[in-house]
This record gives sequence, structure tokens and C-alpha cells, in this order.
Amino acid sequence: MRSELRRMALVSILACFSAVPLPSRAQDSAVQVRLDSKRAGPRTLENLTERGIVRDYRLAWTSMSRALALNRPDLLDGPFAGEAKQWLRQTITDQHSGLSQRYLDQDHQLEAVFYAPEGDAIELHDTARYRFELLDGDKLLCDQAMTVHYVVLMTPSADRWMVRQLQAVPEF
Amino acid sequence: MRRPGLICTILALLGTGSAQDLQVPAAVVAGTQATIATTGSGKATFYLVGPGISRKSDVVLGAEISVSFEELRNAGHYVAVLCSSECRSASFFVRAAKPARLAFLVHPSRVAVAQADALSGVALPFDRYRNLVLAPVAINFQLSAGNTSLLSRPARTVDGVAWFRTTSGKAAGIVQATATLDDLSARRAIQQVASDPCNLRISGQRSPAGVLVQTEPVRDCTGNPVTDGTIVTFTATGAKGMTTVDAPVKQGVARAQIKSAGALMISAACGVVMGNEVSVGAQP
Repeated sequence: MRSELRRMALVSILACFSAVPLPSRAQDSAVQVRLDSKRAGPRTLENLTERGIVRDYRLAWTSMSRALALNRPDLLDGPFAGEAKQWLRQTITDQHSGLSQRYLDQDHQLEAVFYAPEGDAIELHDTARYRFELLDGDKLLCDQAMTVHYVVLMTPSADRWMVRQLQAVPEF
Repeated sequence: MRRPGLICTILALLGTGSAQDLQVPAAVVAGTQATIATTGSGKATFYLVGPGISRKSDVVLGAEISVSFEELRNAGHYVAVLCSSECRSASFFVRAAKPARLAFLVHPSRVAVAQADALSGVALPFDRYRNLVLAPVAINFQLSAGNTSLLSRPARTVDGVAWFRTTSGKAAGIVQATATLDDLSARRAIQQVASDPCNLRISGQRSPAGVLVQTEPVRDCTGNPVTDGTIVTFTATGAKGMTTVDAPVKQGVARAQIKSAGALMISAACGVVMGNEVSVGAQP
């Protein structure tokens, strides 16, 4: 009995200090997005547009997270366009060496800082908080809580808003 | 729930080799080379992830790691990780280089003359790697028709955007909208067309088939001939009642034939504009 307890304790200690990554939470866990449009101008942001932007920006981050975790560039096709789509695809191409990234527990506080007079472009500031994981195969290299500021350009397409520019900056 | 950074901490506690660390650059301009200093000894694996890059390479601890300009073309947030017996990470930012092109959105491409706040333009400076330049820069917006300058308005970018809005010009024709930033410029053409008709005047005369009625050249309030196809409605009122005929403007003039032998009072309207009335006597 005592040897059994000792074995269990040893297993527990080894498990705690093992370098094997613990299972991550589902990669598509809810992405929280809030939008403050008080500063938006010169055009006023209509309620319907605001809801569409929040919906499509959330979709963009959900898709990006899955694309970078699963190395599937096809997941970028809906919500991304232009430069943002290009560099994301390039990142996934480079990850064929076995790397993958995870963005977990995402919380995005958006602020609309420019909405074009004709409504054909919007610039957002995103203060994004998430847990970033970098993996090489199954080996977890890093797991950090991060707060990153993004400057975002979105443009409308036929049925949605698309992310064209997603550029991290040290501060706004 | 795992606490953030737990794995990195555990890996660090378990480290048995010589302690390694890495020092990333404080600030990097897009498209320039950078070096990352390392400490320690022995071999390690270096990872660099950022916008458009996901690199894994073997390195020797204590030596500098060179990151090429091609790997740092995209502005944004980069994470460098150095792993031997343990993993250490550090992050840095790459910012946009100097402006190399202008994105210029102009609306609309076709506009009626003399419309308040009808024209607008938005300019965004990008560097040669298509990063949005967020540092404030001066952009000059100009509107011109032929050699005539209609507008010259300087603006400074805020958060990488400058914009203008103005009233459309008075003359129909092509207007060039230009955004200029130092030696960079972007140009768009706008078609200005006549606005609604103004001062509609008609004349009528009896003909064998009835009454031929026509407008004088139809112009807007600034004197531009209205676009061909604009509809003018002629209304004739006589003893037998009222008749209306819609006629399109062709080469500036709208014409209609009204079949009636009796005396008529004829008026015309186009959009919200009413013309004069003419009286035509009965057929002799």
C-alpha cells in the first residue's frame, strides 16, 4: 500500500514537471469582440454596420486561429483579403516545417477611429488579449499571455467586411 | 486551466545545460536586416514567428543570429524563441518603412455638378512592402479640370489616413483628383455631369399632323446641357381633356408631336422644374 502511494506521488510529480504539453482548450473557443464606435468619423457608424463588423472581425480571428493551428490556408479565404491574407498564407507555408501557433482565450477591444465618408473602408484599433502558444510538432515551445495592439483596415465586400490589413504596433 | 507561461517556467526549471538567453532589437524598420544576440554555449534551435514568417533553424549559442531583410518585410509583432535545454522567448516590433505608394479612394466616379459635399477622397500611404505607414505625413489633395485648379487642400495623416470632402465643380466634364505625398502621387478621374434642368422653356407650332412642341436647349442652373435621354414631359390641355407625352432630350432638345386639331394649352416639366406655358390655336 505504501509503495503504491509512493508510486502515485512520483507519477504526479513527474506529470507536473513533464515537458509534454498539456492538452489545450479547443482552438475555436469563443472569441470575445467589443466595438466602441464613438470616435468613428467622418461617417457615422450605423448600428447594423457595427454589428456586421463585430461579427466579421470575430470570424476573421476564429478563422486565423484555426488556419495557423491546423496549417490550413483555405480557412483564410472568407474573412481576409489583400495584404493580410497574403502574409497569413506565407506564414502557413513556412510552418510546413512542423510549427503551429495557437491563439487562445481571445478578447478584442475594438475602437473605430476612421470610417470613410462613403463607407468603403474602416480603420479599427484592436487591443487584443490572448494566450499565445507556439508548437513544434507536439512540443510546446512557448505559452504566453499577451496584449498586442493591432491597426486593422476592413473593407466591405458583397456580403461581409473583410480584413485587408492587420498590423501590430507597440502602442496606439 | 493552465496558467500562462507555466510551461515555459517548467522548462526553465528543468534546464540542465548552460543558461541561454536572447536579446532582440528594440525597434526594426521593415525590410532591414537585424541581429538577435544570444548567450550561453552549445547548440540550440531558434524559432522566429511573425507576419509572413515562421522560421526554425539550428544556431550556436553565444553567436548572433542574423535575420534577413526579407524575413522582416512585414510590419508587426514578432516572437523569437530560443530552445536548448530550455526555451526562452522575446518579442519585438517591426514598423513600416517610408511611404512608397499611395492608396487613393475617390467617390463617386460620376457626379452631378454643384452638389454639396458630393466628392470625397481617402488616401493611405504604404511602404514598399505594403505596410500601412502610421507616422503622420503631409498629403495634398487637388482637383483640376484641364489646366484649371478647382481645389488644393493639404491634409496630414492621422493613424495612416488622410481624407477630404468637397462640393462638386460647376462645369460638366472630366475632373482629375490627385493625392500627392512628396514625389508620390495617385490620380483618379471623375466624370462631372449636368445637374437637374433649370429654366425650362418651350415653344409650339401647329403642323399638319397636330402640334409640334419643343424645348429650347435644356440646361442645368450652371449652364451645362443636360444629359441626352433626360425625360421632358409635355402636357397639353384642350377642350377634349388632357394629354401627356414623354420625350427624351436629344442633342440638348426634347421634341414631341401632339395630335389635336383643337386649341391647346401646353406646358412642360422635367424633374422638379416646370417650364413656361404656350397656347396654340385650333386648326383653321
